[in-house]
Amino acid sequence: MQFPTPEHLKYAEKKFSTPNGLGATIFETDVVGRPDMRYGGKKLTDPVNMIEDKWRLVPAFLKTRGLVKQHLDSFNYFINTDIKKIVQANSIIKSDVDPLFYAKFTDIWVDYPTVHDPQLQTDRKITPHECRLRDITYSGNIYIDIEYIKSRKIATAGKVCIGRLPMMLRSDRCRLSKKTPKEIVEMGECPLDPGGYFIIRGTEKVILIQEQMSKNRIIVDQDRQGGITASVASTTQERRTKTNVQYNKAKKVVLKHNSFTSDIPICVVIKALGILSDQEIVEIVCGFDPVLVDLFSPSIQECAKLKIFTQQQALEYMSTKVKMGLRTFQRGQKRSALDETKDVLQNMVVSHIAADNIKGSTNLRPKAIYIGIMIRRVLFAVRDGGIIDDRDYVGNKRLELAGQLLSLLFEDAFKSFIHHVKREIDLQLGRNNRTAVVDAAKIIKSHSRHITETLFRSISSGNWNVKRFKMERAGITQVLSRLSYISALGMLTRITSQFEKTRKVSGPRSLQTSQWGMLCPSDTPEGEGCGLIKNLALMTHITTDSEDEPVRNIAYILGVEDINLLTGIELYSNPSTFLVFLNGITLGVHKNPLKFVKDFRRLRRAGRIGAFVSIYRNEQQKTINISSDGGRVCRPLIIVENGKPNMTDNDIKDLLNGIKGFDDFVKEGKIEFVDVNEESDSNIAMYEKDITYITGTEKQILNEMTFEAASELYNTTHLEIEPFTILGAVAGLIPYPHHNQSPRNTYQCAMGKQAIGAVAYNQFTRTDTLLYLNVYPQQPMVKTKTIELIGYNKLPAGQNATVAVMSYSGYDIEDALIVNKASLDRGFARVQTMRRFSAMIKTYPNGTYDRVFLPRDPVTHKIDPKFSVLEEDGICAVGERIDPGKCYIFKQSPVENGTTADGTRGAVEYTNTEQNFKYPGVSYVDRVLITTNEEDQTLVKVLVRQTRRPELGDKFSSRHGQKGVCGLIVNQEDMPFTDLGIVPDIIMNPHGFPSRMTVGKMIELLAGKAGVLKGELQYGTTFGGSKVDDMSKILIEHGFNYSGKDYVTSGITGEPLEAYIFFGPVFYQRLKHMVLDKMHARSRGKRAVLTRQPTEGRSRDGGLRVGEMERDCLIGHGASNLLMERLMFSSDAFEIDVCQDCGLIGFQGYCPYCKKRKGVSNIQVPYACKLLFQELMSMNVVPRLILEDV
Amino acid sequence: MNDISLSAITGFDSGPTVQLKELESDHIKFSLSNVDLSVANGIRRAMIADVPTMAIDLVEIETNTTVLTDEFIAHRLGLIPLTSTDVDKNFAYTRECNCTDYCNLCSVELNLNVKCTEDRTMEVTSRELISQNDNIVPVTIDDQDPGILIAKMRKGQELKLKCIAKKGTGKEHAKWSPVCGVGFDYDPYNKLRHTTYWIEDDEKTEWPLSENAKEEQPPIEGEPFDYNAVPNKFYYKFETTGSMEAKDVVLSSLNILQAKFDELRNELKREQNMNQYN
Repeated sequence: MQFPTPEHLKYAEKKFSTPNGLGATIFETDVVGRPDMRYGGKKLTDPVNMIEDKWRLVPAFLKTRGLVKQHLDSFNYFINTDIKKIVQANSIIKSDVDPLFYAKFTDIWVDYPTVHDPQLQTDRKITPHECRLRDITYSGNIYIDIEYIKSRKIATAGKVCIGRLPMMLRSDRCRLSKKTPKEIVEMGECPLDPGGYFIIRGTEKVILIQEQMSKNRIIVDQDRQGGITASVASTTQERRTKTNVQYNKAKKVVLKHNSFTSDIPICVVIKALGILSDQEIVEIVCGFDPVLVDLFSPSIQECAKLKIFTQQQALEYMSTKVKMGLRTFQRGQKRSALDETKDVLQNMVVSHIAADNIKGSTNLRPKAIYIGIMIRRVLFAVRDGGIIDDRDYVGNKRLELAGQLLSLLFEDAFKSFIHHVKREIDLQLGRNNRTAVVDAAKIIKSHSRHITETLFRSISSGNWNVKRFKMERAGITQVLSRLSYISALGMLTRITSQFEKTRKVSGPRSLQTSQWGMLCPSDTPEGEGCGLIKNLALMTHITTDSEDEPVRNIAYILGVEDINLLTGIELYSNPSTFLVFLNGITLGVHKNPLKFVKDFRRLRRAGRIGAFVSIYRNEQQKTINISSDGGRVCRPLIIVENGKPNMTDNDIKDLLNGIKGFDDFVKEGKIEFVDVNEESDSNIAMYEKDITYITGTEKQILNEMTFEAASELYNTTHLEIEPFTILGAVAGLIPYPHHNQSPRNTYQCAMGKQAIGAVAYNQFTRTDTLLYLNVYPQQPMVKTKTIELIGYNKLPAGQNATVAVMSYSGYDIEDALIVNKASLDRGFARVQTMRRFSAMIKTYPNGTYDRVFLPRDPVTHKIDPKFSVLEEDGICAVGERIDPGKCYIFKQSPVENGTTADGTRGAVEYTNTEQNFKYPGVSYVDRVLITTNEEDQTLVKVLVRQTRRPELGDKFSSRHGQKGVCGLIVNQEDMPFTDLGIVPDIIMNPHGFPSRMTVGKMIELLAGKAGVLKGELQYGTTFGGSKVDDMSKILIEHGFNYSGKDYVTSGITGEPLEAYIFFGPVFYQRLKHMVLDKMHARSRGKRAVLTRQPTEGRSRDGGLRVGEMERDCLIGHGASNLLMERLMFSSDAFEIDVCQDCGLIGFQGYCPYCKKRKGVSNIQVPYACKLLFQELMSMNVVPRLILEDV
Repeated sequence: MNDISLSAITGFDSGPTVQLKELESDHIKFSLSNVDLSVANGIRRAMIADVPTMAIDLVEIETNTTVLTDEFIAHRLGLIPLTSTDVDKNFAYTRECNCTDYCNLCSVELNLNVKCTEDRTMEVTSRELISQNDNIVPVTIDDQDPGILIAKMRKGQELKLKCIAKKGTGKEHAKWSPVCGVGFDYDPYNKLRHTTYWIEDDEKTEWPLSENAKEEQPPIEGEPFDYNAVPNKFYYKFETTGSMEAKDVVLSSLNILQAKFDELRNELKREQNMNQYN
């Protein structure tokens, strides 16, 4: 079995080189491949300014990590390390029948994706794009090596397939990994595509990042009754439990746990854990703090009142409250309550603190101390008047990624797989008259579908069911949105929270200060998901699990005293003593915490400890926390030592020259990854000028405190790489976002994902169900650094429109835009839509099959106009114009397709299952794909294309959350124009500005105009970018007014407009909401079967509802006849016969209840009314109609 | 036209004066004096929207194996400027022509037949369009001009199509407009106060003067505002798409305006006559 390399060693192994040549990633083409990008217009000999150029670390970071490195890291960790650990933990299958038998898994690995060729009966390499086209799952075989007993001899079998694992694109085992852009293009893939998703049956699925509370950490919280509780969610490989220690209303500390029926006094628990003397209990809880002792003494008294003094008494007391039968002993034997209690204490209470078995007796002392710490935390909170932990603090959160989620699923599937294999082996071994030798390898192979099915089903449905944790989560995966490049990218950085969306607490939704640099402050949806669905910032990294054993050893070497060797009094007696935790587990204490932390960090920077292990001091709790667990969010920062940043000008030069990469700086201890908790323990300077450093000579400060304490307080420890990285990829598109009102940026984040542009380089070979493409996309005049980094300038979604901010006609109220007709003629905002229709031509088990052909009239041999676009094979011809109602695939399916009892069948009968086109507008057949899927069934995909020119009512938006619909299309000669004859593409109403306060848009216009005049692109990067003063200067140089306003003449009268007009280019996006997809009208039409009222909705050709408010209007007008007509005659009028005697409904002028025809009148009621009466009658309620003459 | 005097139209005693400042085949700069603002603006509007040119309007695609879609290429073809000198005389509008579909009197056929056989990217440009009529060809500046890019092709791709160019005006589609933007202004010193300067401190430093200011008298400090003054001199500046000579665009626009006035006059006359009989 291969053991995984520790993370920090892997780091050392990596050498900086470009093994794949120039341009191995999109970032390389920029930074290394293109000299102009590399030096930013500078010569090599020019001085490099550290402050200006440190942003170049960002592309270097993204070059080595990619945009969705979190997903890839996590998945790679799973397939390279975690999967091996899981198999190692469950490696042996034994038989209950034959004690000599065993089967042992010696290794496991995942292979590159293949597809089974049903005709050749072999596996064949497959590319992701082929999977998308052919509706296949992109997955690789999972192989194991086994050693087992075969007819009493040890046999081995290598490379036994136990299932298939869907492969994450661009992961280590993906065909795309380590390929140059050229090779990627040859595989039909877009080199800009970030990967990080799966392809299941042709659809792209993303496993969203899941936000969770961290495990194994104590959180002190206050419940609604005011009781203060310290809770810890213990998680181990086997189980998840939650332990609560509460300070209740009776001012006593109790243990709350699922395994017990009621609360248990905490001292009883500690005594049951083997600490018997009250003195020692007080020592491990309170130390010498008299206030704590006072608070804790009622709890000690309670225990004494219960007369519990020994461990046995404590256990007996607890056994009366333990829940029995939660878990059965082996072979269904029932245990005594006492044994159950012992077991619960060992395995269920704070289960992450292992109860080691030393010489036959279990060592429960660490648990007792841990519970002591929990009590201490509760008492602190009580003492300080309810100061509790912040649950929403990002440091208390962990992000679960694809790898971790798949690992949960795989372990469960693997266990059930082993269970099935074992049962089968037992069955075969138990057979008395065996004909064949029992071959475990064969049995294992035959059960491979368990794992495959579980994984495929879970990823495609998004339902995660893990039995051993009783986990049932839905909506883990989503279909990757390919509306635009940005929407796909935004989806891969999305974080969903497990909180219920209906809860009305604002805490989890509000912006946390600790999100700085880790999560994007702008990118969150409006409405129910607001603040719960978040996005990663540009430089965020999420850790994967790493080995804690080396970290523990190093901690002990650095002077941590083992908790097992300490008496209670030694924990808290010295105020400088700090408790040391590793991943929430108590390691021991350290007497010189400052030095310990410093030494530890030094070792980490030297590469002796994994780069992602974090350490921080908590001054209040007097603890040092070391974390090496996965799911922590962290980000890189430049290390500052002695007031000087470790990154120097030379380093930046080396970076630009390609001598060093980002990882080298990490290795050299110049940059380090800092997680949220460690961040809180650091002094981070935004810019180099903000760095503070005090030397020993600065007496002023030293007079009041020690030098160490002062330098701890004032000295800068880190330097930010670039402030613009606090935004994510989607918010990074906005120019000058720091000048906008913040909700506007959030609106743009939502709209940027709806903008139509280029989707990917392979967009014309894709077969998505719906694809929107801009015909002439442009990169924005005002770019940001983020735009270049994520490749938005290569796959843009919008155009630079010349905008005049003025009023024109009355058709521009409420944010409507006036659009120049000539611009539309010339292709502005022209969009193509591609719609895919697919059909399966199936072969059925009884040997029958679907058939496609061009139907002809049997007598005249003429073709119905409905089938005019079909070719001889019954499938539409490429390039043909297809109108609503036309058939694009003529298919017939057999009526009988099951197997008959005798296997014979007569003449096959067919029914028409043709598919007809029903969308409005002029459409053309773009492509037809005929292929087979994995089951060897023929699959036909038809792509229908539409070119749409903007029309009245189509939606547009700038990049500042300013959306509007097209209100009027105006001829060029009627449009206003400047003295140079420039005519705007779009006229925007100035009323959009005052209340929205999108100053960024104005600056964008100014910078764009300056850029156009000077012939260069401008930058609107957050907290940077081209300055307004410089832009004004350029405008003046070119003979324009510095404010961006122009002399504008009316096209209609020829007179100049009285005011000067703010005039210039703004990047406009066309959004996917188009009138053609939404317009709907109906006079008469279909009705619903049940109510006989008109159907609802455009898709069902439904009626337009006269709703409650419209009804109110009509009532207000007194238009009763109109009301009657709308609500009944035009809807569901129905004639019924009502008996005037009994008031019940009769029929044909006869009352069956009164058995007479006299007094039966015919009236009109809504059918829904009649229906209601009948439904009431079916429930024994008699509605009687009392009629009156009018 | 002579029964309505010129001064009656223009409101100026001396007739309109044109002062030509720059004239090249593709651009022109001139000023027009002694006309009313409405007439001056009318000329501008006519140049944009009413001057007829030829442009490809119908495309019959036989083979298209390029990456671009049929309507994409058709749209690009439509925007290619075709030399359209004397189009108003030589061609009829298809809708007014006697033919049923289109004919030589109202349209010109252009053909494109390109196939990429080499192993490199090939650029299909407007030079590959072969016209049936030597007068109506895609615009090129000189022999070095590579033409306007239509599509790019790789080996094995082919584009074969037939285009029908028709006569039309910019009012219908911008592809028929012979000009891009038309620069038009008057009164560079804002003596008439038709506009209000937006200023923070000083008008003179914040608003650069237009080059036309050279031709007018700067306002004298303290000069009283003449509220009876009307604009007199109008400055034009524009560039053509290449489909027509710049001066022809102006002349054509004048003819069109004149024709419109004629029509109006005739209508008015007829109305007058009708009233007499009634």
